[in-house]
Amino acid sequence: MSVEPAAQEGGETARPKRPPGELTFCALLLLLSLFLLWQAYGISGFESLTSAGMFPMLASATMVVTAAVFVRQSLRRGPAQSDGHWQAFVAQVTPPIWLGSALAVCLYMLALPRLGFLGASFLFLLLSMRLLGSHRWLLNVGVSAASLAAIYGVFQTIFSVVLPKGSWLQNLFR
Amino acid sequence: MMQALEFFLMSWTDPYLLFLTAAGTFAGIYIGAIPGLSVTMAVSILISFTFKWHVNEALTLISGIFLGGVYGGSRSAILLNIPGAPAAIATGLDGYPLAKRGEAGMAIGLTTVVSVIGGFVGIAALAVAAPALSEFALKFAPRDYLMLAIWGILLVGALSGGSLVKGIFAGALGVLISMVGLDPMTAEHRFTFGHVQMTAGISYVAAMIGFFGVAEVLVQLHELKTRAVRQDVSRIVPSWARVRKHLPLSMRTSAIGVVVGALPGAGGDIAALMAYDHAKRSVKNPTRPFGQGAEEGLVAPESANNAAVGGAYIPMMTLGIPGDAVTAVIIGALYIHGLKPGPMLMIETPHLFWFIVGSLVLANCFLLIFGLTGIKLFAKIVETPKPILLPLILVLCAVGAYAVNNNPVDVYWMLGFGIFGYFLKMYGFQVGPVILGMILGPLMDKSYRQAMISAEGKPAQFAAEFLSSPLSAVILAALLLTILSQTAWWRRWRGTA
Repeated sequence: MSVEPAAQEGGETARPKRPPGELTFCALLLLLSLFLLWQAYGISGFESLTSAGMFPMLASATMVVTAAVFVRQSLRRGPAQSDGHWQAFVAQVTPPIWLGSALAVCLYMLALPRLGFLGASFLFLLLSMRLLGSHRWLLNVGVSAASLAAIYGVFQTIFSVVLPKGSWLQNLFR
Repeated sequence: MMQALEFFLMSWTDPYLLFLTAAGTFAGIYIGAIPGLSVTMAVSILISFTFKWHVNEALTLISGIFLGGVYGGSRSAILLNIPGAPAAIATGLDGYPLAKRGEAGMAIGLTTVVSVIGGFVGIAALAVAAPALSEFALKFAPRDYLMLAIWGILLVGALSGGSLVKGIFAGALGVLISMVGLDPMTAEHRFTFGHVQMTAGISYVAAMIGFFGVAEVLVQLHELKTRAVRQDVSRIVPSWARVRKHLPLSMRTSAIGVVVGALPGAGGDIAALMAYDHAKRSVKNPTRPFGQGAEEGLVAPESANNAAVGGAYIPMMTLGIPGDAVTAVIIGALYIHGLKPGPMLMIETPHLFWFIVGSLVLANCFLLIFGLTGIKLFAKIVETPKPILLPLILVLCAVGAYAVNNNPVDVYWMLGFGIFGYFLKMYGFQVGPVILGMILGPLMDKSYRQAMISAEGKPAQFAAEFLSSPLSAVILAALLLTILSQTAWWRRWRGTA
């Protein structure tokens, strides 16, 4: 899936309009590329064609050129609608359910070393399932508990993965 | 010869390896069938758990997941009209119309048999071509490796239907991510921003899980309301007469699959689409019109995409260049297990090659068994609601990234790459070239510097050496042709020719 550009009416020469947020994203990619080129130059400058920084410079220069092409292409296509860009961006790229889920994932990743794998994952699963529209609490609790038990059992024993225990819990029982 | 046979049969005779191959194939089929869970994602996540295993155990599991996953995508394409993997897009064109007629069982059975045939053709090609090609690969100069790696990245962008410019950007980004850390030749800091933790570089497993796992889940959040349609799944095993009728087409399209799969950067998805196109052009009297349930429309893509698995192993084993995104991930796993894919791997450790061939053959046999059984259970699993499935995948992603170094920092990298990968996907970028770039970056850097040193640091001599041997000239021509084929001028010329 991607944000499909809306086709413009009017014959073969019509260009598809740019999706909401595309120009900003391409401009950010260009800025990132320029920053990386500057960083690559900082490694060893132009001291030699075989220096440590030469290949990174070539790669980042490629990024700069291609990102500039995206910005140009995006500018030439024109916006899909003259107003309501922000609303269109939110609706098509970051709808509330997406933002909520992304936030839940970020919180989960932050909670993982603190609450431990089992605690953080259980809370994350319950919260996310509810957020995404699974309203049957009993089913959510059952599926979360059973899957975590399976994941913990399989990965801790068969795959020998030492899952995080959780710094808060460890401090609690110290 | 006897030693090769011994290693070939190792996974067949060791009960634990036998179990792992079966488990990998089973998991691959079911993961590949769930829309949104790609084979690359499955291999990326599961591979991270195998780093502490013996290399043989990891390789058997990976072989099973790869073969099973490529096949598994066809199941949901037929039953739900949602391809489980990009390689099954063409399968749904005729598979779903067959399912709507109540012939899903027959369609799945036929798909399973031709997938197995395709798989055997691909593995046979690997067994025959790879040893010969690895000796030839010793003639490759550093400049040839540099061009092959660039060509591989370009091909992904060009052949997957996306924009070549976006493919180039994504590939260059992957190369830069792989440069983070200490330069292996001079130990200079590159993109470390003064942080000691950055000197070890960024774990490409964390990046892979982020780009393929987290990003894909975030994309799937837009399709939460897609409902599964229940289908009738009876009469699975196809008759011998039906198989015999389609055998010539299956063999032809398997050959297409091997060749396309062996191209650096091209994989089963492109092979399947090319095979479908071949079937449409070459079959004069299909069982039904194409797009309305032609059996030939199932046979062609399914033979080709499984044959592409063996094909994709050829450049991976002989040149160390990934055939597609999954083999890029597998190369990463081999490096972590202390192996260096390339011509010397084939020469120094031929047993490993025959072990992989044996595991693939075994996985293909399990594919036939699992493919023809458990369809009803399968239909239930594929219908798992996304509000339950997606959070579970994210938990698996987190465990996978954490397991690489038992370090939460890798989980943060995974999350960052996942969110960045989501926006890349939303604006039409392919994430495959990023991973190819990450895998091939160190090889490209080394090859560029070796080639430049051999040209005494003179740019003109460096450029001239690309035409100094027929091999370099051929690769250069292929590279330029790939770029040229994406230009408006070329498209106009093809359109008017």
